[in-house]
Amino acid sequence: MEEIRKKLDRLLLKTQKPARYIGGEVGSVVKDKEKVDVRFAFCFPDTYDVGMSHLGMKILYGLKNARENWWCERVFMPETDFESLMRENDIPLYALESLDPLTEFDFIGFTLQYELSYNNVLQMLDLAGIPVLAKDRKDLAPIIVAGGPCVCNPEPLVDFFDLFILGEGEEVNVELMELYERMKPDRPTKEQFLREACKIEGIYVPQFYDVEYNEDGTVSSITPNVAEAPARIKKRVIPDLDSVYYPEAFVVPFTQIVHDRAVVEVLRGCIRGCRFCQAGFIYRPFREKSVATIKNETKSLCEQTGYEQVSLSSLSTSDHTKINKLLDELSDYTDEENINLSLPSLRIDSFSDELLEKIKAVRKSGLTFAPEAGTQRLRDVINKNLTEDEILDTCRTAFMGGYTAVKLYFMLGLPDETLDDVAGIARLAQKVVDLYYETPKENRGRGGVQVSVSTATFVPKPFTPFEFEPQDTPEMIKQKQEHLLASLTSKKIKLSMHYSNTSILEAVLARGDRRLSKVIYTAWKKGCYLDSWDEHFKYDKWQEAFEECGVDPAFYANRRRSYDETAPWSHLDYLVTHSFLVRENKKAHQAQTTRNCAEGCSGCGIKAECGGVYCGGN
Amino acid sequence: MAVIEPKNARLRIERFDYRIVFAKQGRAIYISHLDMMRAFQRIIKRAKLPVWHTQGFNPHVYIMFPLALSLGMESRCEVMDIALIEELSYDEVKERLSASMPEGFEVISVGAPVHKHTDIAFSCYETEIAAQIPSEEVVRLFEDFLKRDTIEIEKRTKKKTTKLVDIKPYIECEGLEAGDGSVKVKLRLPSGTGFNLNLNVVIDAFASLSGIEVETICARRTNILMENGENFT
Repeated sequence: MEEIRKKLDRLLLKTQKPARYIGGEVGSVVKDKEKVDVRFAFCFPDTYDVGMSHLGMKILYGLKNARENWWCERVFMPETDFESLMRENDIPLYALESLDPLTEFDFIGFTLQYELSYNNVLQMLDLAGIPVLAKDRKDLAPIIVAGGPCVCNPEPLVDFFDLFILGEGEEVNVELMELYERMKPDRPTKEQFLREACKIEGIYVPQFYDVEYNEDGTVSSITPNVAEAPARIKKRVIPDLDSVYYPEAFVVPFTQIVHDRAVVEVLRGCIRGCRFCQAGFIYRPFREKSVATIKNETKSLCEQTGYEQVSLSSLSTSDHTKINKLLDELSDYTDEENINLSLPSLRIDSFSDELLEKIKAVRKSGLTFAPEAGTQRLRDVINKNLTEDEILDTCRTAFMGGYTAVKLYFMLGLPDETLDDVAGIARLAQKVVDLYYETPKENRGRGGVQVSVSTATFVPKPFTPFEFEPQDTPEMIKQKQEHLLASLTSKKIKLSMHYSNTSILEAVLARGDRRLSKVIYTAWKKGCYLDSWDEHFKYDKWQEAFEECGVDPAFYANRRRSYDETAPWSHLDYLVTHSFLVRENKKAHQAQTTRNCAEGCSGCGIKAECGGVYCGGN
Repeated sequence: MAVIEPKNARLRIERFDYRIVFAKQGRAIYISHLDMMRAFQRIIKRAKLPVWHTQGFNPHVYIMFPLALSLGMESRCEVMDIALIEELSYDEVKERLSASMPEGFEVISVGAPVHKHTDIAFSCYETEIAAQIPSEEVVRLFEDFLKRDTIEIEKRTKKKTTKLVDIKPYIECEGLEAGDGSVKVKLRLPSGTGFNLNLNVVIDAFASLSGIEVETICARRTNILMENGENFT
């Protein structure tokens, strides 16, 4: 530590926002390493500003540090300016609490939130002086692990990791570290440890599985090659969300980060089942915290951090069964304390006058909706159970309440999308503009209306009903974008269309198999990392890597997969059944919707024992 | 539609003003002024001080900093003014603030704001610099630097052009001493609501006019003075 600390002195002044690289924030946990038995480096494979906003890290950081003899620290990807300074001055990647290099840790854990962060994992290991390939790491420690949504298909990363942690981490992380603490004094080999670890539910050790392929390149079988490894690995679920660990304090950064506020989780899972949405399936079932718990956690966090803003986090906050009571009680507290309460993830259909009134009392900002598709037919295909009337009613209420800015989010490239569906986006935006001008002058806000339309490109994801679907080719997306641009009719509509080759890469990595490890390694060797940053993304290098490895991206991105094909992730059990996904896919192609969990069970396969609010009855 | 009122419609006119002198050292020297202002809002919130909020639609904690401290500089004489809605003893304010300070910050004293921010005229600095030449040589060069008729630097104007400014009349050297491998320099420079001269600017001017590369080993503000030379704090 002293050595790194000394080297950092003054050197930090040569970099942008140096406070990100020196730790010492309020809430950061510093322990005496002589009294610590297990050290865990929690790595977020992106910069401090992004990673420090991640809720999962805050939860697991607090959870692990609650054990006196465990020490969990934070590690982020340095920006390129600081990375060069580190390399020039022989500073290995270090953790922010102890300033110790990663080589001194027992576990190095990455959270995989998006596919384009995969190469940052390699870059970070390399910057730490740790071999990126698992087979080159012979010692017991450090053990390189990963969790997060992307591990629902970790196959493209099997060459780099020792094990993956599936599902919710609060229990399984503790079990894994307890096992390690028990075994460590006997100095087991890495294999001995992994053979024990894979017996823990939710732990997937990829080297214990053999993958065979068919002649057409698809997977034929995935079978365990050691007795300890289960044939299928089941994700972990916390049935009782109300009593699960939640941190009383956060690390409060000095520099401004993406989400610089207290965050309280109100529920997990989603009742909606929008067919494109991976989160809607892999986080099932829908469970919520009680109003009292949420209130206590809000109070504690605000007091401990000193934040003047708190936000409620979930996939769909208005689906909380007691949303009105929750907002009443919370705003009593936040008003009194001059704290700003913000509510992302509200759905249009539950956006009542009353709710709008409450939100408005908090702060009048823009209104954001995600209709996702421009026509009713296509919204039915994707099971976004939201009608045009509902969208317009809400906008009417909002305009009457003085709102003047509306943001609408859409996707291009959805299954069964036609050019008319694309033009539907422009028609819907125009109706919102017209609605503003129909609102009586004395009620509506001044200065005219601004409707912002954003489109993203659809990426089919595993464990969704669209996991079988091909992604639109770049040519098809381009044609749809041009059609949308030509369909716009008003200057009040601002259009931003994001499309770059990153969407192709996302599609390949999301549904890829083990053969992609070589591609990732090759691309990384060619200098590909920080791929989610436009200025660093090098698609030509990725293309070279695909070619050199003899891998065709279209095989993964643009091919329709049959229902009976063995998916690369078919040995992972996310509790939602394959037959349910097939059923949903068929209904999608018939433009038939599926009711949400609150309206009645549709038989996704999740059992009542997982604690879902609506599970276990009809 | 309901009439929207400011959130803290209960106006709190009465306020009690406090002046806090604090230190910024160690890890904290890498925190920028803007980030530090935000950090102090949170420190005050955590300290549960009955703080006076601004009286608008988005009330926020009232804090005033008369001077900014450059990134990388340490100090034990930084000033912050706050206001409370009830009167607390200076000791209590000090105690509560101290308990919620992050590493590197420290409350030196709490008292009444005696002088106005506009009374601030100078800051005193101490810096240790090194170059690739013997420190006696650096001292000699610095003496030459101070003896120059003019020391012109380029300053950006509001119109985004640059103009030459002679900073010579503003530099007052209060100490120059060769040490083991480095040179200690003490300077008094104008500070406050009017003209400010940054220590780094002077050191940079010295380096470029002397034709050497200068490395700053450490830099600290040691004092804040008023026009009459008395301490501001």
